[in-house]
Amino acid sequence: MDDLAYGTRNKRGDWQPKEPADIAPIWSFPPQPLKVLKWLPHYFLPYDVIFFASAFVWWYWVLPDVEVMKTLAWGWILKLFLVNTVALFAFFGVFQLRLYVFRAQGTRFKYNGQFPADRKSEAFWFKSQDIDSALRILFHAMPIWTAIEVAILYAYANGYVPWVSFSEHPWYLAFIVLIIPIIHETHFYLIHRLIHTPFLYKHVHSVHHNSVNPSPYSSLSMHPVELVLYLGMAFWYVIIPANPILALYALHRAGFGAIPGHVGFDKMEVGEKGGVDTHAYIHYLHHKYFEVNYGDGLIPFDKWFGTFHDGSKEGDARMQARYQEKKARMNAKAAKAGMTGA
Amino acid sequence: MVDWVSACKLEDIEAEGVIRFDHGGRTYAIFRSASDEVFCTDGLCSHEAVHLADGLVLDYEIECPKHSGAFDYRTGEAIRMPPCINLKTYEAETDGGLVRVRL
Repeated sequence: MDDLAYGTRNKRGDWQPKEPADIAPIWSFPPQPLKVLKWLPHYFLPYDVIFFASAFVWWYWVLPDVEVMKTLAWGWILKLFLVNTVALFAFFGVFQLRLYVFRAQGTRFKYNGQFPADRKSEAFWFKSQDIDSALRILFHAMPIWTAIEVAILYAYANGYVPWVSFSEHPWYLAFIVLIIPIIHETHFYLIHRLIHTPFLYKHVHSVHHNSVNPSPYSSLSMHPVELVLYLGMAFWYVIIPANPILALYALHRAGFGAIPGHVGFDKMEVGEKGGVDTHAYIHYLHHKYFEVNYGDGLIPFDKWFGTFHDGSKEGDARMQARYQEKKARMNAKAAKAGMTGA
Repeated sequence: MVDWVSACKLEDIEAEGVIRFDHGGRTYAIFRSASDEVFCTDGLCSHEAVHLADGLVLDYEIECPKHSGAFDYRTGEAIRMPPCINLKTYEAETDGGLVRVRL
């Protein structure tokens, strides 16, 4: 595919889409019903359908009987950890191998013209973004993911939280399924703002932001505290009366679903002329510019609070204006302390 | 005390390049532009104290190797997040193929 038909490439080799990023069209004013109709299938397709199905797969083929989950025993928990880990590396690995190891589409549609593997950095363990991220996933993300999952299943199995069944309350649970992406977006936005406060940023979130040029394994390359806050969004479904399968869906959506924002490419090419949109641009801009796009655009939090960046010159100008103000404040402070130059 | 110090030969720095220069217990970055002008700034990024000599020079920008923050190395001004605090700059000149900086 000719990516220059869809965007431009600068002197550094960074590709940028022609169309600015946008929030969900349900928020457009005046309303744009046709645009909304076109967008609606993307509310669940393609990723959510996969994670919804994977939740059922886990429930019926991976997890033991409810009676077994009433007790915290190493057997089923280790099996769950193993399956989660293999599944995660397999799922992320598809993107990693195709786009970053085999480089099947080169830098076509790649936001950052460089590949992380070509640039060693002191920011990472073994100076490698990929090794650092893979190790953090293995030793931090997967144990925390599994621990959260076990806690939720244990609570359901023992009747500590209300278990709503699909047969008795199908419409209520269908409603919960519908709002899971909204709860996800709200939870993500709120914890994301929290971990961008100076103390938590420095000690927690900076680990994730070391991946300025994110790649698939960056998705869950996080400090343990951030992982608890982020994957902990599944706990909403023990607070809200729901069903353990929906809690699994929410967890899979957070865990497996972290990849779209970190894939680093705007499209994954399929065949000679086809391509699947990744919807990664909004979050890529967050990794590039740090203080924009704390949310993913399903709910326009960033527009409401003035931090939205759509990748356009206008978006850049708005970000620069905020940056200049912050710089002026910080340089004045530093000048008092005798730290700064120009 | 401020004084001119010989830092390196001009040929030691690639065009649109940067090298590290240590002197008097401090570290600096010395830049050579595409048109052979030389500039000197503090060596460490004002964000997380990573050395800028490992960064990427493009036009008059130096991009920090850690978080891709950027500075205009002529003025030391921070021009892209995350750094907000400007770098100190020092006079630099070439003299018969030698680069001298005023520290």
